[in-house]
Order: sequence, then structure tokens, then C-alpha cells
Amino acid sequence: MSTEAQERFRLRGWHLALVLALAALFSLFYKGLWGDPSAIPTVLIGTPAPAIAGPDVASSQPISSSQFRGKVVLVNFWASWCQECRLEHENLLAIHDRFGGDAGFVMLGVNYQDRLDDARGYIEVYGAPWLNVRDLKGSIAIDYGVYGVPETFVIDQQGVIRHKQIGPIIGPTYSYLNDRLLPTLLQGSAPTVS
Amino acid sequence: MKLPALVALLLLLGSPAAAPTRQVDEAALDGQIREIAKTLRCAVCQTENIWESQSGLAAQMREVIRERLQRGDSPEQIKAYFLSRYGDYILMEPRKHGLNWLIWAGPFVLLLIGGLLLVRTLSRWSARTAAAPNEALPPLTESSRARLDRELRLLDK
Repeated sequence: MSTEAQERFRLRGWHLALVLALAALFSLFYKGLWGDPSAIPTVLIGTPAPAIAGPDVASSQPISSSQFRGKVVLVNFWASWCQECRLEHENLLAIHDRFGGDAGFVMLGVNYQDRLDDARGYIEVYGAPWLNVRDLKGSIAIDYGVYGVPETFVIDQQGVIRHKQIGPIIGPTYSYLNDRLLPTLLQGSAPTVS
Repeated sequence: MKLPALVALLLLLGSPAAAPTRQVDEAALDGQIREIAKTLRCAVCQTENIWESQSGLAAQMREVIRERLQRGDSPEQIKAYFLSRYGDYILMEPRKHGLNWLIWAGPFVLLLIGGLLLVRTLSRWSARTAAAPNEALPPLTESSRARLDRELRLLDK
């Protein structure tokens, strides 16, 4: 290959690299146009669920997540002032109706940045036939990387976080939990996340 | 030690003279909290760090930092804790590792590549211009010369 031809070849390589780099950059920008820009990607899937401890909203009796060991636990962070929590409440009740009778399933609400009276009033009005623990200092929420309510986690029998939902459990999210994830986990056929 | 001496010692230890030390400790602790909190992003008001944010979550995060410092955790351990809960997103500055290097070095690399391309292109242009000597220009044709004269006369008017 002559020197001139080599030079021309190198130039083409440069152009190709430049075009590829620009294409990668633009595809990144394009991807950034969709989705919620404030959503924080979770790093907790597949990790051991942090312990939860605090007083029960209704009875003030201490609750500890250690009492649910070996069960599938749905942890829902909520507050009485949270409008989106009301949106998902019917679905939470439906999930409890369907799976609440299963001895291997537990639902646990975590009341976040709320006043006790307001939280109790909310439960009275909307109903919540599951345990609700008060997050007095916000430390449970921070342990779970929560940045707003509602957020929902599903923990498997091994105590590993299998799912995190930011925002209300409605539409496809509800179908996924109700029809796929929870039945699969409760059958114990889901592969274990290491 | 006799009892009166012991009482005096206890009084001395419990006297207000010990208070400034506590104040200094508290100020030092606040300083440490500030230093750590300024490096962590508020998950609610995402453009602010948790030292400046007024959100409830930021206040609770500052409290977590305080508790952990009092427990003897180092600033690195505390940052690692928040990182393990919220991921890289919680840091005001991305960590300098792996793909993150693209963010840190990317602009400078692009600037360098752009500069090199500019230098190369400009040097080629100037080389090409210099390679065209005046003698190589075609001689002025009769019609062109006549047109030039005509235009110049128009200008003089």
C-alpha cells in the first residue's frame, strides 16, 4: 500500500470513529428524552433487605422485620399526606385480599414523615388490615434508599430485595406484582438472586 | 481520697468550666456534618446537597450523619453507607472510576481531539494555499482587462 493510500485509509478510520462517537452520544441524548429525569435507579435489588423496627401505628407495640423471616414481604412506604398513596390503596387492599391468607406472605406498611394522628385517621378511613410501622426518624426509609412516597419493595423468603416500585402500584405495575411476581415467589419457583 | 476532696472534684468536673469543651466538640461535630452533607445530593431537591436542602429527608439524612459520627464512623464509612442505599446518584461529584472517567475526562479529550483536528485542517489549508504560486495564475484575457477598465471607470465617477 502506498503512503498516500495509507494516509487516505487513516483518514477514513478517523471519520468512522467520529461518526460512531457522535451516534453513541446522540442515542444517549435520545434515551434521556424519555422516562422520569428525577427517578433514581435502585442499587438494592438482589441485596439483603435492611432490618425494619419501630412502633405499630395503631397499637404502638414494637414491630420487627425479624418476625417475618422466611416469608415473602411486601413493604410499602406511605404517608397520609401522599396523594399517590391514595391512588394505589385499592390495589394494596386487593393484593392483601388475594395473598393475605397465605401463611408465607406478609404486608408491612411503613409510615413515612407523618403525624401519628393523621396516619391513624388515614387507616381508619381507607382501611389497612396489615401491620404498619412508624418510621420515627426516617432511618428505615434511608436504609431502603427511599426518596419519596409511595415506594414499594418485595422481599423474598431469603430476605433478599426482589423488586422496587417507585410511585403508585397501578396499571402494569399492579398486574406485574399481582399476577406474576407475588404468585411466582409464593410458589417458591422464582430463581434465587445471589 | 477523703470525702470532701472527692465532692470538690466532682463539683469541679460538673462545673460550667466543662461546658466550653462541649461547645467546641459540638462545633467540630457540626463542621464534620457540614463537610459530609455538602458532598451528598438531596434525593428530593436533586440540585441541592443535603446541607443546603430544606426538605424533611435531607434533615433526616443530616441526623443520620450526626448519629453515625457520634458512633465513631469515619466520613468515608458514612458516605459508603449512603452510596450503598442510593447508588452513585447520591454523590454531588461522580466517583472517579470505571465509566465515570468519561464524565471527568470526556470534555478535555474532546477539546484535545477538536484542537488537533483544527490544527491539522488549518495546516493543510495553509500548505495548499502556499503551493499555488503567482506564476501559475492564467494570464488576464483581453475581455477581462476591458471589463476591469470599465468597472474602474465606473468607480471613479
